[in-house]
Parts: sequence; structure tokens; C-alpha cells
Amino acid sequence: MSEFSPNSISVLPQHLLLLSADTHKESSLRAALSGAYELHHLDSLHQLTEFIALEGDCAALLLDLSIEKRIVIAAIDFLAQSEQPIALICWCEEPLQLKRFQQIVDRIDDYIFGESPVGSGLSIRIAHAIHKCRQQFKWLHEQQLLKALLDNIPDAIYFKDTKSQFIKVNQAMAKTFGEVEPEELLGKSGFDLFAEEHAETAYKDEQQIIETGKAIIGKVEKETLTDGSISWVTSTKLPLKGPCGEIIGTMGISRDITELKNVEETLADETSLLKTIIEHALASIYVKNRKGRYVIVNERHAKYLGAQCAADCIGKTLHDFFDPEESDRISTFDFEIIESGHSKENMIHQRTLPDGSCVWLLTSKVPLFNDAGQCTGLVGISQNITQQKKIELQLKSTIRNLEATRLQLIEAEKLKTVGRLAAGIAHEVKNPLSIVLLGIDYLIATRLHEKSEISGILGDMKQAVNKANDVVLELLDYSSPHEMNMVPTTINDTIEHVLTLMRHNLKEGGIHFVDERSAGLPDVLIDAAKLDQVFINLILNAISVMPDGGELIIRTSNKRLNKAGPNVSAAITEHFRIGDTMVIVEIIDSGTGIAEENRTKVFDPFFSTKTTGEGTGLGLSVTRSIVEIHRGMITLENRKDRKGACARLLFPTSYKP
Amino acid sequence: MTNSEIPPTRILIIDDEAPFTRMVKLNMENAGNFLVETLNDSPRARVVAKEVEPNIILLDVVMPEADGGDVATMLRADDATKNIPIIFVSAMVSRRESNKGLYQSGGEYFLAKPVSSEILINAINQLLNM
Repeated sequence: MSEFSPNSISVLPQHLLLLSADTHKESSLRAALSGAYELHHLDSLHQLTEFIALEGDCAALLLDLSIEKRIVIAAIDFLAQSEQPIALICWCEEPLQLKRFQQIVDRIDDYIFGESPVGSGLSIRIAHAIHKCRQQFKWLHEQQLLKALLDNIPDAIYFKDTKSQFIKVNQAMAKTFGEVEPEELLGKSGFDLFAEEHAETAYKDEQQIIETGKAIIGKVEKETLTDGSISWVTSTKLPLKGPCGEIIGTMGISRDITELKNVEETLADETSLLKTIIEHALASIYVKNRKGRYVIVNERHAKYLGAQCAADCIGKTLHDFFDPEESDRISTFDFEIIESGHSKENMIHQRTLPDGSCVWLLTSKVPLFNDAGQCTGLVGISQNITQQKKIELQLKSTIRNLEATRLQLIEAEKLKTVGRLAAGIAHEVKNPLSIVLLGIDYLIATRLHEKSEISGILGDMKQAVNKANDVVLELLDYSSPHEMNMVPTTINDTIEHVLTLMRHNLKEGGIHFVDERSAGLPDVLIDAAKLDQVFINLILNAISVMPDGGELIIRTSNKRLNKAGPNVSAAITEHFRIGDTMVIVEIIDSGTGIAEENRTKVFDPFFSTKTTGEGTGLGLSVTRSIVEIHRGMITLENRKDRKGACARLLFPTSYKP
Repeated sequence: MTNSEIPPTRILIIDDEAPFTRMVKLNMENAGNFLVETLNDSPRARVVAKEVEPNIILLDVVMPEADGGDVATMLRADDATKNIPIIFVSAMVSRRESNKGLYQSGGEYFLAKPVSSEILINAINQLLNM
């Protein structure tokens, strides 16, 4: 408004149009304006439209109402459609003329009355009309923008009076309440539209704004409508001020963030769920970033690391918990996963904890990727499987023992079968032997034997029969099932007995037998049949390691025990007391000896250096069991004087079952 | 030496192996004043024993129809034969029992097969002189 003054009129004369049929009016006007405007006299609508289209810049139109009404209306309509503000000043010869134009008076900016305009006041009036028109044009334009904003923005915008009743709301606000027109809300308050609790809070807020003039910016509010539906909004409320700055109400804008809030809540729920799972899983769970720093650690893993609590681990690396070597090893491993982007699953490994205890772990490590596909770290899950591992080892050992027992049973069953067969064989062989023997006896008793060569033949035949009988008896003895039958025995006799059986094997194997048995050994309490088996096994073993022949020494001796040697294990020590006498049997071969890697295994069930099929691997195992039943001890070592092995058996002489 | 002055010792040998019984008969009758009757069909033992009235019976243990144990029970159940001494001659003997000559086990007398004529005669004399 203050812009209006004659001084504000631009220096360049503005175009002023006069639409009139009266040339007299033009000259009187020109005289009255005295050059303040550049006046153009137009006498038709056509000239008007042409001028505006060509010149464009036109400040005002003086419209002579004396011309045809049709042209007046058309000219005014034309102006209304123009894109520039052109002030409309109507020239009436007398006020009554205006009655003809009731429908257009709203659009008229000013009037000139009389037949000719008077004096200097005219320029000012025209300037005023131009200014008013331009202001109005500007205001209208702003009004349009504001309306467009209010109508189209999805945020709810409202204005309220001091009683918190709506005085204006936009489309979006109305929509919040369903198919409602903005006008329907006017005069209503929050209490009519929201549940009481929310309406009350909003009312208080607004009253506070009115009282203090302070705005509330970006407050997150939960809105409960009267029908119970819930929405979330961020709300900004400001004081609404009157022309003099006095507060006449409030205005606000609310943005619906229900969806955002729902997503946020779902996310929070998921996070909480994830946390619960991580914390309560029966496994160590952790997340490390690319630099190996812990980002997430559950309590179980914190305990494993030896930390007080999970929070203590965040930001730390393995080096804070393990020794450098171990840390480096794991870090290198982790780095490979991060670099390659490939996970490592179900790795079983053993780990010594900071407290020194040893655990078995089942671990999976999976690389973590961000949205851009870059690996940002890894997730690890470790389960303590120490207990399972223990059970597994126990089970393995049990299975091994069972297998050994099963094969021992098979072996025992085989021996029983041989025993049963042997009894039958003995019967079947001995009967013919009896006949042969008696036949020879008869021949010897007759005169035939007077011929010396026949006598010799008969003698040989008798010896052969006795020898055959001996072999049958040995077989019977060896294989018949025996209870433990402990009898004080001279061990040299037992060995003699075995040698009778083995003579053939020794001869066939090209083995030279060296007898180094000492006389006068004290008796030991043994089951002769079982010990036969021990010596047979050991001698057969000795023969088998000398495929190209060799030397077998059997040496017996006795010794008083002065001290327990390093070879005497704790379990055996109780059977050998210092001061006791032991009988020692050594069976020494000149074979290849025992390979270093086999030394600890030779007495294990199923250990065999023979080709599969040639031995059960039970021989030495059974041998040791038998020796141990006798409270004895057996060792198998390499000879010190030359190549070959020496099996040494020790029997206590003091043992009483 | 005339056998008519001293009556021969009568022996009944029961064994399913005919060559064996034949050999025993040959040897014993050749070696001394023995009269040996042989029987290979063990179920007939009681009848034959009554008929022969032996001073001693040599009895095999393992036989197909009636074994040594059955035969002994049969003989001992009959008053006519119950007092005749029996020596079991068996192949089912371990080394510990063989080469011992006559030995006793469970109240019975045994000899191990194969048996030489010398051991056999010694055993019979030993038992009859008791």
C-alpha cells in the first residue's frame, strides 16, 4: 500500500488504452493526462486484442461504457483472461449507466464520471487503479499457490481458533476422517474427532501455545480416532497470529508416519527376537568386522573368551584374549573367509581355553555382506562338543574292544572245533595204530625176527607207530578245551613238549635251533596246555620272520629281583616283589627285528605285519593275555647284539592262585 | 611147558574192530597160557560172557551199538558175570594217561590204545594177581 505514490510511477510513460467510439473523449483525456501516460485510442475489440497481443505491456484500459454493451462485456472478459494485470477503469457519462453492467462491477478497478475527465487528480486515480490491480493480481496468484499447496499436500494442515475449533482444514486433513469434505470439519474440535485421551493432550498443547506463543515442532503423536483405529503422526503446531500480532488460535501440520512407525516397530520386534535368540542359543555366537573387531558377542562367547560380560568384548580383537600365535592363526583364517566370501561350515577343532582347559568345538563361519555386495565381516557360531567327543571316543574304544573280543571268541570257537575234531581223529588213528603195533609185536614174537634185518625193520616200524601216536596225543593235548589247570611245572619240560610239536616246522623253515636252557630252574605254577600255546605262537612268529632260514635261540634262566626295572609296568609290579625269584624265558630270532613305528603296537589285537590272510593279528595279543593270567610279563624287543628280535617272558615263582 | 597142567587164563575181548581183537588173540595166545575169545558185536556181550566164563574181560570204550559203559553195566547187572574184572581199552586217552600201563580212573581200570602186547600181558597179570 505504501508503494503507492506518484513518484513510484515508472519513468517510462506506461501504455494507457482507451476503447471508445468518441474521438472527443480521446482529446479531452489526452489534455487531462498531460503526457503522464502514452495514450492509445482504440475503437474496436479487434484493435484491443491486437494491441495487447503485439505490445503486451499495457497498464490500464479506459473503457467507455457508451459503446455497445456486447463489446464492453467482451473486452472485460478478454482482460480477465490476460496473463498480465491490466487495470480496468470504466468511463460513465452518468452513474446510472452502471446499472447496465451489474454483472461486471466486481471486476472494475475505478470509474471516471462525466463527459470529460477533470484536472490533475485523474493521473493519480489511474496510477492507483493500476497499483491496486497489480496488487490484486499478485495476491490472487499467491492465493492460488497456497490453495494448490493446501489441496494437494498429503500432510494434514489446519487452523484452529482459541477454543481449538477448526477454522480451516485442508483436503488431506479431512481425508483422515474418511469421505469428509473440509467444510464439514469447521467448527468442530479434537474432542469431536479423536478419542478423548488424544483430544485432551492435543487440546492442552494448543492452549499452551496460545498462552505462551511457543511452537511445538516435530512431536511424534499417537492418534486414536473415535472408531479405535490408530495412526502415528509427526505434528508441528504454531501460534496463529492476527493482523496486530495477537494470538488468535493455532495452526498445525501433521504427517502420517503410521507406516514408518509400523516398519520401525516390526524392526524393533525383529531386533529383540534376534537378540533373544543370540543370547539364549546353546552356542557361542559372534559377529566380527573386517578388522576382526567384535561387533556382536553373546554371553556364552564372552565366557569362552574369558571376558566378564559381552559388552566387554565389543570393539576388541582376538589379540585381547588369546596368545599372539593363536590369535594370528585364527585371524588369518577369518581373513580368508572375508576375502573369498566363502563360508566354512562344521569345522571340528580342539582349543585350549585361557583357563587351560581343553575343549572340542564345532564351528561355522559365514561372511557378512552389505547391500552393495561387499563383505563387511563374518558371523561365527561355535558349539562345545567336548562331551559328545568324549562319548564318541569311548564308543570307538568300546567298539574296538568288542571287535577284539568277537575275534577272540571266533578264535576260541575255532580251537574248540579243532579240539572236537582232534578227539575223533585220535580215536580213528589210534585204533589202526593199535592193530599195527600188536601186529609188529606178534611178528617180533615169532621166529621171523631171527633174521636180523627183519628184526631191524620191525623195530623201526614200532618206533614209527609210537611217534605217530605221540603226534596224535600232542594234538589232543593242545586243542582239547581246558579249565585253568595250574600245576607246578618245570618250564624246560613245557618247552621240550612244544619243541616236539614244532620240530617239523623248524626243519622245514631251515631254522637252526640253539638250545640255551639252564638246568635246575625252580618250578613255576602254570597251565601247561595254555603255556604250550604261548610258546607255539612265539616260535611260529620267529619262524615267520626268518623266511630264508635263520637261528632260533631258546634261553631259560632264573633271577632274583633286586629292583623293579623300567620295563616293569605298575600293574605288573605287584606280582613281582623285590627278593622274589623269576624264571625268564627268551625266544630269540635272527629275523628283521621290529620296526620302530610298530614297537608299541605289537601286542595290540589285530596288529599284524603279515600279509592279510596269513595271520589274524591276534597271536601276540592272546599270548600276552595268557602270560598275564600267569601273573607273568612279556616284552618284545630288538636284539642288541645283531639283527633280530627277542621275546622275553618273566614268570614269578612265588605266585599262588 | 604143558598147558594141560595149568588151565589157561580165559580172556574175553570185546571190540568192534575185528583186526584188533584178532591181533590181541594172536599175541596173547602166542605169548602165554591164555585162551582168548573175541567178540565184535558188543550187544551180545552178556550171553557170550556167560558162555565163555572168562577170568577177565578187555572192553573197548567207543563202539557203535553198545559202548563200553553200556556193556559193563549189562555185565554187572547179571549175577553170573558181575564179578568178572574188566579192563577198559580206550583210544580216547590223553598223553598223561598213556604210557602208564594199567591205570585207574573213577574206580575203573584202563589201558591206552595203542597198546603193546607186553603192556597188555603185564596189566592182565597185575589185575589177576590182586
